[in-house]
Amino acid sequence: MIFRLAIASLLARTLTVGMTVLAIALSVALFLGVEKVRNGAKSSFADTISGTDLIVGARSGSVQLLLYSVFRIGSATNNLSWESYQDIAARPDVEWIVPISLGDSHRQFRVMGTTTAFFEHYKYRQGRSVKVSEGALMDDVFDTVIGADVAAALVYSVDDSIVVAHGLASFTEHKDQPFRVSGILEKTGTPVDRTVIVSLEAIEAIHVDWQSGAQLPGKATPLDVIREMDLTPQAVTAALVGVESPLQTFALQRAINDYSEEPLLAILPGVALQELWGIVGIAETALLAVSAMVVVTALIGMMATIFSSLNERRREMAIYRAMGARPVTILGMLVLEAVVMAAIGALLGLAFLYIGLAIAQPIVDSTFGLWLPIEMPSMQEVWVILAVVGAGAIVSLVPALRAYRMSVADGMMVKT
Amino acid sequence: MKQALSLIALFAAMPALANETRQLDAHEHGVGELNIAIEGTTVLMEFHAPGADIVGFEYSAKSDSDRAAVEAAEVRLSAPLELFVMPEAATCTVKSAQAELEGEGGHDDHADEGHAEHQEEPTHTEFHAQYMLTCVAPDALTEISFVYFEAFPNAQEVEVQIITASGAKVFEVSRDAPTLALEH
Repeated sequence: MIFRLAIASLLARTLTVGMTVLAIALSVALFLGVEKVRNGAKSSFADTISGTDLIVGARSGSVQLLLYSVFRIGSATNNLSWESYQDIAARPDVEWIVPISLGDSHRQFRVMGTTTAFFEHYKYRQGRSVKVSEGALMDDVFDTVIGADVAAALVYSVDDSIVVAHGLASFTEHKDQPFRVSGILEKTGTPVDRTVIVSLEAIEAIHVDWQSGAQLPGKATPLDVIREMDLTPQAVTAALVGVESPLQTFALQRAINDYSEEPLLAILPGVALQELWGIVGIAETALLAVSAMVVVTALIGMMATIFSSLNERRREMAIYRAMGARPVTILGMLVLEAVVMAAIGALLGLAFLYIGLAIAQPIVDSTFGLWLPIEMPSMQEVWVILAVVGAGAIVSLVPALRAYRMSVADGMMVKT
Repeated sequence: MKQALSLIALFAAMPALANETRQLDAHEHGVGELNIAIEGTTVLMEFHAPGADIVGFEYSAKSDSDRAAVEAAEVRLSAPLELFVMPEAATCTVKSAQAELEGEGGHDDHADEGHAEHQEEPTHTEFHAQYMLTCVAPDALTEISFVYFEAFPNAQEVEVQIITASGAKVFEVSRDAPTLALEH
């Protein structure tokens, strides 16, 4: 009975109620959307590298090693000597090992020297491999494969020739050894998109004729001669390692960390990513706090509309009282109205979220490499909705209590 | 000339210095480390904890009571399922378990006993344990409760690293929240 009255009363004020519900719906959609983006960003971040059991580099910090080897941010304190690399590669518990050599750049993008095994073993987003969208993987020493962002930003296509600069911010370029773009990679949403990938030999090859950071005067060694040379590197920057069995990971990590010939560091990528997220994750918590405030604002807005409706509805309340409704019934009806508004708002917000996701998902994925899964509402989202409804009930208690007191005092007297 | 000679002497001495490797693991009182690797039904666990957490001292056991404390600790640490309690549904059994006390810092090798000016004490000791378990239903390993904190009142925290098929994760389990919740 109360419920029918409450619904009828809400319907009688469709416009104000509609606006209140809309405000709640938008705020809930915003809150859940932020939460969705936050989780998407977190898992995208955690999925930057998967399938790799250990990352090995010079001894520094786990976050630093992760930053330069995977995110190409900052640079290595030391290199990993080729002898140590070979030692690790020869261990029986190592299933595969992929070298990474950094230090040169092309325009604003980093150049990474590696082997084609990188494309086989580097995985992102739960086991997806990096694929070539145009052209093919590098075949020659002077071939390069470029990330999607590199191709888009510098408008490169297959068979273009590019020149790699020595160092990261320098004017000296390896002009005598231009590279041919042999392939362009698919967009991955990982730092691979912003990387120019060449073979490990190429990094050595472009430094033939160079000594102490400067080009030797005289005639450059012809490319054919360079191709014939022994281009085994002296050192690499880091290495990605896969183990035979996960059970051996900790033992291998300890063996590398205790390796006495060279101070090395082996990290578990997942653990280092979590550490790094702990640092960058503060911003997203702030974002969540802001969107929670928006929900609170919408609920306070609802409280304000209920308050302002009290005066208009004074006569209505008085009639209810005359019909035999007790003051507590009036209170119950106002709270019930608020709960219904909050519930409709929350559910509408959820609907907005899914509509928004359906529209934005492909755009967000291709622009930011951020994957926002469309799935059944999680337990957490259900709790958020219940919390909004609960908060709506609590907030409405303030005007409802006032109505309760007024209805006790007023009786049928209308004092206007 | 003298200066040049001493420089030469200095450089001649450098490789000898460089050949010695000096490295020590980090050691934090109150904080233990637990590594767990799961593959199929096999669960490998490695546990490290400072001597201070387990027996309350880190000098080499001198009195009979010290030695008894170390032995008792080794026995307790050899029963992983009583310290790190896993859900019944996972049906885990211990295949092998070893625990021992290891010294660190100071030279406790017997080789340099003769010419050592004073017998150096290990400055820190750590209990190392390794367990191999078989769990019939590894998917049911949804949580591990650390009764360990009740067994050893000095222990405050355990840093847990877990490797499963889905990758590596790190957790902190503390005396205040002694349960590790795992998602699969």
